[in-house]
This record gives sequence, C-alpha cells and structure tokens, in this order.
Amino acid sequence: MPQKLIDQSSLGHWVAALIAEHKVYGVQAKADRFAFDALTEADDLRLDHDVTILPPKKYFHPPQEILLQFDREAMTFESVFHAEPFILLGVHPYDMAAISQLDKVFSMDHRDRHYLARREAATIVVCDVQTASPEVFAGCMGHATMEGQSGHDMLLTLLDDGRYLVDPVSAKGEALMGPLAHAPEADQAALQARKRVWDRNRRQLQKNKLKMKPSELPGLLAGSYDHPVWEERAELCYSCGSCNLVCPTCYCFDLRDELNWDLRTGRRLREWDGCMLRGFAAVAGGHNFRARRADRYRHRYFRKGKYTWEAYGEIACVGCGRCISACTANIANPVEVFNRLLEER
Amino acid sequence: MKPRVAIFDFACCEGCQLQILNMEEELLELLSVIDPVEWREAMSDRSEDYDIAIVEGSITREQDADRLRAIRERAKVLIAIGACATLGGVNRLKNHFPMAEVQKIVYGDAAAMPHLATMPTRAIDEIVKVDYKVEGCPINAQELSRVIRALLAGSAPATPDYPLCVECKKGENPCRYDYGEICLGPLTRAGCNAWCPSNGFWCFGCRGLLDDANVEAAEKVMEQYGRTADELREKIILFNTPREPGE
Repeated sequence: MPQKLIDQSSLGHWVAALIAEHKVYGVQAKADRFAFDALTEADDLRLDHDVTILPPKKYFHPPQEILLQFDREAMTFESVFHAEPFILLGVHPYDMAAISQLDKVFSMDHRDRHYLARREAATIVVCDVQTASPEVFAGCMGHATMEGQSGHDMLLTLLDDGRYLVDPVSAKGEALMGPLAHAPEADQAALQARKRVWDRNRRQLQKNKLKMKPSELPGLLAGSYDHPVWEERAELCYSCGSCNLVCPTCYCFDLRDELNWDLRTGRRLREWDGCMLRGFAAVAGGHNFRARRADRYRHRYFRKGKYTWEAYGEIACVGCGRCISACTANIANPVEVFNRLLEER
Repeated sequence: MKPRVAIFDFACCEGCQLQILNMEEELLELLSVIDPVEWREAMSDRSEDYDIAIVEGSITREQDADRLRAIRERAKVLIAIGACATLGGVNRLKNHFPMAEVQKIVYGDAAAMPHLATMPTRAIDEIVKVDYKVEGCPINAQELSRVIRALLAGSAPATPDYPLCVECKKGENPCRYDYGEICLGPLTRAGCNAWCPSNGFWCFGCRGLLDDANVEAAEKVMEQYGRTADELREKIILFNTPREPGE
C-alpha cells in the first residue's frame, strides 16, 4: 500500500475530515495527563502524549457494559452488541501489542462476541511514540515499535524533519486515506528516517531497565514462588486493584444482574475486576483462594510473567509503565521485582 | 401487596431523606412497588405498621435508642442509610471529648435540660440489628434504588468490598496523590462511583473504611508524599472515628 509523506497542517486537515465523517476517539489532554476521548476538534488531538491514564482497551472491553437484557418471567434474554464503526487515533505500539493479546484471549475457547463486535467495528491508527513516559519500558518488552507486530490499520510516524509518514497497512487503513491519496509518496530517505525513529524509541522507551529477556520470565518465576519479595512488598499493598485496572492486558471481569422497577426485566452487566481485589478469588461458601495480600500480590506477577505464557504464549506485560505510576504505594513496578528475583536467584 | 415502608430520621442533617426525594424521575416507579406509610420529609401520615424501616441519622440520646429499638421490633427489615446511620458519621467526632464539655459547648446555659442529655454517638448497628446498609454522606440514591429492587426481588443487594480507587480508575480520574493531596480512596469502601475525586476533591471516607483497609500501609506511604501519619489520621476521623471497646 502507498506510504505517504505529509506535513503537520495536512495531518490536521485530514483529522478534521475524519471527524466530519466518522466517530473518532483520539488522545487528548485530561488535567495534566492524557486520555482517549471522543474527538470533536482536530486541534485537541495530542499525538505527542506520553501515555494515557487508561489504555485504549476501554473501547473494546469497557469498564462496564450491558451484555444482555432479560425477562425473568418469560425466561428470555436478548444479547446486546455495540458495533458502531469508529476510528481510534493515536494508539501507541505497546498498546497495540496489548490489543492484539486481548484479540487472542477473547477469541480463544468461547468466542466473546461482545468484544469481537467492537473490535471488528474499529479502525486503529497507531502513532509511534514521540514522548517517552517517565516509567515506560516497552523497549525492554519488544513493544517499542510496530516492527514485527500487526493488528493495526495504519501507522503514523513523526519524522525528525517534522513531517509525518503515513503508512496504511490494511484495507480499513487505506479507506481512511481520502485526500492523503494525493500526497507525495514516502521515499527511501523517509523510510530510513522512520527506521531511525524506531531505533531511537527502542533505546529510549527503557526508563526502567529489565535485566533479562521477557522470554526468561516464566523460568525465573518458576523458581521464585517462595521468595521473600512477595511478603515484603505486599505489606504496603492497599489491594486497590489500580495496577490491574490500568493494565492494557488485564481482562478479568465480573458479572452482575440489575433489575428494573418492574422487578421482572433487567440487564446483565459486565464490569472490570482485578486479581488484587480481595473478593476476586472468593467463592460460594465463603472460601477465598487468595485471602492474603501477599498471595494476591504474587499472583499478579505470576499471571503476567508465567501463567499467560503457559496458557497462550504471551507475556502479559507490554511495558507501558501504567501500573508503576498508578500505584499509590509505589510497590507495583514489575521491572524492580523481576530484576530483584534475577539478582537473588 | 406492596410492602409498607417507613422512613425515620435521627441525629443528622436529613440530607439522605432528601436524596430519596431527589430521585425525581424514579420516584413514581419507586411508589409503584412500595407503599410509604411514614416519611416525615415527604408526607404527614404516620404509622406503626410497616414491613421495611429505612433509618437515617445517628443515636446520641438514650430516648432515641429506645425509639430505634421500637422501630426495629415493628420492622421485618431495617436498612440504615447514610454515614450517620452506618458509621456515626461526623457526629461521632463528639466522642473525642467528655460529654459534659460537649453539652456545654453546644447548649450553653440550657445544657442541663433533660431532653438535651447527650451520650457518645452510636451508629444504628451499635443499638439494633441492621439488615442492609447504604453508605455515604449523602447516600447515592441510585444505590438505594438498587438495594430496594434487589430486596423486593428476593436477592441480596451487593455492596462493594473494594476500595474507591477501583471506581476512580474506571472513571479515568488523575490520582489526587499526584497533586500532593491525602485522599482516603485507597482505604474507603467503593460504591459512590468515586463521586468526590471525579469532581476534583480527595475522598473524605464517608462510605466507611473497608473491613481490611490497610491503614498501617497508608501511614507509611504518607512519607513518600511528604505528609505524615498524623495528617492521615486527622482526615480519617472525620467520618471514621473508631468504635471504642465498651462504647
């Protein structure tokens, strides 16, 4: 597909044209942080953002959604799907890697039609990172760039000369080109310039440095079940689940039914859950498989670095660093924990 | 037959009853499933015959404790609503002082009048058995609405047992600690949809501390933010003055 080279004002016009025709969600300022939100003005788009408070997974696996409407007396239900097409603008490569993981998870075994309907309705425009966030380590996890990754529809890269390289990689992405079809094609020099951005991002997105390859994590964790770090760090844990909730690869949820005032009809809600919350592993009869903070704390690391690897071949950490900044007690840095396990092996 | 419901108030600002009145568009639907028989803020009828008692306010006098016991005897189900009823609320700050002093400060020369005899503030469940609680100052009417619907349908209403941070994160709020504020969210029971942090305030803890709130951790964490454990405790006691043994 044709790769194009455009200046920033053309980019602005293009975004404005997208907003006029499509439902667009893009990264915008929220207080002094950033968040994905409905985009109504091209100027509000912040492709220079470092990281968003919540990852873009909220558009596929929302914090709360209605799965179905039911009627208790008629014993009937109707599933609810949201499939309005939308464009997601400004997703960082590490978040794209996480979306690809979720695609895998929600397609495995029981295909989750609610997730997949949203996913199919989305056109994802990834933008290479322009500003490294204070805690990012995507460079250590192999997710600093889109090289070797897929799932997106278009890639935007700000080159050092101030122009954007626009790279549609799917039919959906190409359909967005519109007026950009007439822009000059990216030449070899531009592609080289993009490669320099990628090389730089791989180095710079390592604000925390993991002292091993991600593929070594399952083996490292296998010998670390009784390491003192779990008890030590969990002492300061609030069990607030913040590290789970901001994580782009966490997908656990709870289900809850709510009745209407007729006490007959109602809806089944799906809501984000998290393995750090006390009630997560509580079951009928009052037993809790992970009643202790330290048990829950350890579980998160094992889940991220070992269990998901065994279940579906992925390390469930892309290095976005959100858990590190979201943890009020400052105990959630996976790089610190994994490095310590390595040093004390 | 619709269940007969009575709403009672004790020591409080009656803002929680007002929240029920504020349900507005839902009020008619509420009245389609319950039959209110006493509700001082909304009607003049009174009754001693009811199935469900909804109680707001804290207990600060012996005669109020007696009245509450009578209500409990008549009601099949008792729901305590609001921080005063579930925790003792702001009223409980009184318990940090000798009762005689409190009485003198508030009532001055009239302090000796028998109807002003005050006792340490109690939450409703320190006097009688409470079946369900709706936390908050004020309550969130949506939550009460959910509790009533679940109750009438014969299922147990679910109360969150996780910290407010969960709802704050879901709402994508920047953390108040990033602004150097002491927020009680990590220690406080969720359920209000992070009402205060979503509007730029720290959490005051009005829904009560979690059963397993890690207060010891919070005291240590304060140091990381250049704040002290004392500052944290000052914030906590506003709504969560501890229940003392023998109190």
